[in-house]
Amino acid sequence: MIIQTKEISKRFGEIIALDAVNFEIEAGEVVVIIGPSGSGKSTLLRCLNGLEKTDSGEIVIDGIKLDKDKSSIHKVREELGMVFQEFNLFPHLSVLGNLCLAQEAVRKRSKPDSEKISLELLKKVGLLDKKNSFPNQLSGGQQQRVAIARALAMNPRIMLFDEPTSALDPEMIGEVLEVMKNLAKEGMTMLVVTHEIGFAREVAKRIIFMDQGKIIEEGKTEDILNSPQNPRTIAFLSKVLK
Amino acid sequence: MFLREIINWISFQLHILKNILIFLAPAIPMTIKLTLVAFALALILGLLIGLARLSQRGLIKALSKIYVDVLRGIPLLVQIFFIYFGLGKILNLDRFLAGVIAIAVCYSAYLAEIIRAGIQAIHKGQYQAALSLGMTPYQTMRYVILPQSLRIIVPPVANEFIASLKDSSLVSIIGLRELTRAGREYYSQYFVDFQTWLVVGIIYLVMTLSLSRLVAHLEKKYKVHGYGIPH
Ligand SMILES: Nc1ncnc2c1ncn2[C@@H]1O[C@H](COP(=O)(O)OP(=O)(O)OP(=O)(O)O)[C@@H](O)[C@H]1O
Ligand SMILES: [Mg+2]
Repeated sequence: MIIQTKEISKRFGEIIALDAVNFEIEAGEVVVIIGPSGSGKSTLLRCLNGLEKTDSGEIVIDGIKLDKDKSSIHKVREELGMVFQEFNLFPHLSVLGNLCLAQEAVRKRSKPDSEKISLELLKKVGLLDKKNSFPNQLSGGQQQRVAIARALAMNPRIMLFDEPTSALDPEMIGEVLEVMKNLAKEGMTMLVVTHEIGFAREVAKRIIFMDQGKIIEEGKTEDILNSPQNPRTIAFLSKVLK
Repeated sequence: MFLREIINWISFQLHILKNILIFLAPAIPMTIKLTLVAFALALILGLLIGLARLSQRGLIKALSKIYVDVLRGIPLLVQIFFIYFGLGKILNLDRFLAGVIAIAVCYSAYLAEIIRAGIQAIHKGQYQAALSLGMTPYQTMRYVILPQSLRIIVPPVANEFIASLKDSSLVSIIGLRELTRAGREYYSQYFVDFQTWLVVGIIYLVMTLSLSRLVAHLEKKYKVHGYGIPH
């Protein structure tokens, strides 16, 4: 198991964002999380890489137990790449600067090394010609592809995606999903929050359905999509698939 | 005949102005030095206090808030008196040092608030992105947040810099011979008030206007792509 959570819970005041969540992911698996707004999907991803602290429960990532001390959070973050809905590129740095910054600051790579790696990744996401552009000069789809490349530059073992295409115009969704599909084919372990059911159908091995901070249903992709059991899953899917 | 008198009058006035300028000139470096040293110190203090205001730790946060509230709430002139006559006696501070400390401490409170606001204006997604890449909180601040905050911080900080240059004249009250003090000395020797204060004012104006030019340059330099009015 590359990711394992035991009974993790998280409250924000009165709101219970995560309610005793258990799940496991094997290395190389692609798992899609779906669920209505406010169901705790983003909170779950943020807890996995320590951006949010759980109130209780246990998270183990690649054998590292995530606890209060900073070194474990740091080690876990080195294993996990994260891609956000709003891209979150650094606007004051060029595309190349975005890719190189953490490589140099965290991985302690030399400038030539990190540039070489960055250029290879930009080639992979089809944006080599944009290396000197600034984020605001790129389309949403291009920004998200840069964000994926930036996360990959740290050589993570697992990639977390939080609604990576939700902020994109329809014509740009395809190019981002394409990059993600290729990544899945290469065997990357991926945990993806998305409502792109087509993507799930094509690459996800499993689907997890969340509602009100709980995992309501999970199973093989085709089982969940073709014959969901829980009424809430059925109601949600009927809206998404319409 | 009449024209001749006007010319005489003008050349006499110019002569006075020149004398005043010659008298004041040696005091200008002191005003500059006082402002530069005090403001540099204020920036360092302001950054530390501004970061302390954002600290997760309750005590640090509370203490820094008190620091800002107290120092912002007392007139600089009173702070100068307090530091020179009060603390100065105990710590044996000379006039220059007392002036530097008073201005630095007072302005650090304003700067702390500006810097805090500049940091808070940066979207939390930027922290999340930097931290998720494995950067430490320090690296995140240093390489991601502060460079973007500069765009927001530079114009109001520049305002404070210009204000501190003008406020350095208050230190004349404890007898430090800077520009304003020199003006008072000239006046008490020759009793020309209009011309004296005119020249003093113009010298300050020249200095503050040059600073404004410098600021415009800095604003350009720290501009972040994608912000500001498109043109
Ligand atoms: N920092 C926070 N402070 C307070 N409440 C929060 C915070 N983050 C999330 N919440 C609350 O926790 C619940 C779960 O939020 P979360 O963002 O994880 O949901 P989500 O499933 O990602 O929703 P969406 O599909 O809209 O992104 C929501 O009720 C939300 O309002
Ligand atoms: Mg979300």
